[in-house]
Amino acid sequence: MQFFANTDELHQVMKELWARIGRDPDMSEKLLQSKLIVQFQYREPEGRVTVDCSDGKEMKVMVGKQPIKPIVEMAMKADVAHDFWLGKVNVPFAIVSGKIMARGPVAKALQLLPVIKPAFDIYPNVISQHKKVMA
Amino acid sequence: MNPFVFHVPTKIAFGEGLASGTADIVKELAGNRALILTDKPLMKTGIVEQILMGFGDMKYVVFDDVPPDSDVDCVNKVADLARAEECDCIVAIGGGSVMDTAKVVNICLTLGGEILEYQGLNNIAEQLLPLVAVPTTAGTGSEVSMVAMVKDRAEGKKLLFGSRYLAPSVAVLDPLLTVSLPPKLTAATGLDALTHAVESYTAVISNSVFTDSLCIDSTKMIFENLRAATNDGGNIEARSQMLVASTMAGVAFTNSGVGVVHALAHSVGAKFGTHHGIANCIFLPHGMQFNMDAVTERYAKLSRLVGMSTSSKDSVAAAELIEAIEKLCTDCGLPRRLRDAGVPELKSDDIEELTFLTGSDPAIMFNPKECSPEDIKGLYERAY
Repeated sequence: MQFFANTDELHQVMKELWARIGRDPDMSEKLLQSKLIVQFQYREPEGRVTVDCSDGKEMKVMVGKQPIKPIVEMAMKADVAHDFWLGKVNVPFAIVSGKIMARGPVAKALQLLPVIKPAFDIYPNVISQHKKVMA
Repeated sequence: MNPFVFHVPTKIAFGEGLASGTADIVKELAGNRALILTDKPLMKTGIVEQILMGFGDMKYVVFDDVPPDSDVDCVNKVADLARAEECDCIVAIGGGSVMDTAKVVNICLTLGGEILEYQGLNNIAEQLLPLVAVPTTAGTGSEVSMVAMVKDRAEGKKLLFGSRYLAPSVAVLDPLLTVSLPPKLTAATGLDALTHAVESYTAVISNSVFTDSLCIDSTKMIFENLRAATNDGGNIEARSQMLVASTMAGVAFTNSGVGVVHALAHSVGAKFGTHHGIANCIFLPHGMQFNMDAVTERYAKLSRLVGMSTSSKDSVAAAELIEAIEKLCTDCGLPRRLRDAGVPELKSDDIEELTFLTGSDPAIMFNPKECSPEDIKGLYERAY
């Protein structure tokens, strides 16, 4: 059974997660330095989250279809994303086995993996708070 | 046992003189008009002409101007030619640059659009046109790999393409084509193959018995044959063993990835134009030493299995593998330091830039141990 019941739930959780990442000075500073626009395209359920660091000043997080053109696109099942944020996904293996698709200058995006690792500790909290609200 | 995925999308054929029958392979793949990709130095050797004789009345067009470190301009030029000539299959005769160019041209020919749209990993989702790879060096493994890299000179960066559909349809391994390779290039490309084998064996996802066996056997074959192939280019048995070992290591790394040594070699190659095989041979012992505490047991096992150590103590056996690699490089006349390979004195700005390039190279993601910027700087300093 898939973890996220629907697109709304997926978007709410990811939006909250990225908002907290944005409030973390270490992570946000390094992400803004990248000036990347990364779009995560999810399936089962469908979802789209765009993280725009292009102006180097403010991290903008948008959900759903956006007119903005991403520099890097990452596509995966929403369950893979959920496991990733729990720190349970071996990214190299997920790439080799085709579970994650990356379009664009992927090296730039992969370089951010160590930067966002502290979010693995934030995510369980985001999930548990979300479940409480839903209950 | 850990989960694994293992692909060999390429049919592999080996034999002395086999390349002269390339046309038959193209026909088997239902190709009617072949695009032949190669480079100027190979044209001069007569190798391409020999292969083309087999094409008889079959229609083909030759592009013989693939540069050593191919780029987007070359890809676009070749794709335009192939479209104009209505080519329906590709034959790549050459080393890594020719084969990688052929793979990216294949994307353009089959899928159309801009090449930059396909940059990335796993975003090509359909079968491409038939591609026959005829390697003339024994090292890159590109004849079986599912990745390709070309330069975007305008932007000053390398573009990475990765998809199982990029792997050539057939790899034609003919040792006679490698006979004219000069000793230094024979040794350098051989060390590239050895680096593929060693790094794949210890890569972070190297958990498949399939990749393990390929790594072990190819390492052994390289230790046993590289000196002979380097010192006596006409030794067909040594050339054969090296060609097959290189392809085996290519299958291994395309399934499990490489590591920090390749990330360092890509970076120094991009900045100073250092030959990839030479850069690998310089960095390999340093990279292994760096990874030692994370994978001592794996190095020790490999060392014993390829006959480089009889010690039961892992640290000793692992160290003996590194010593054996250093001796192999020295015996083959390869430089042991970056300064001996034409790299100018590394200033702090150079090291900063190289460290950034290395840290953002996808190969580093597969390294068994995390590398901090300080670790990378240390590796450059030691290798210089």
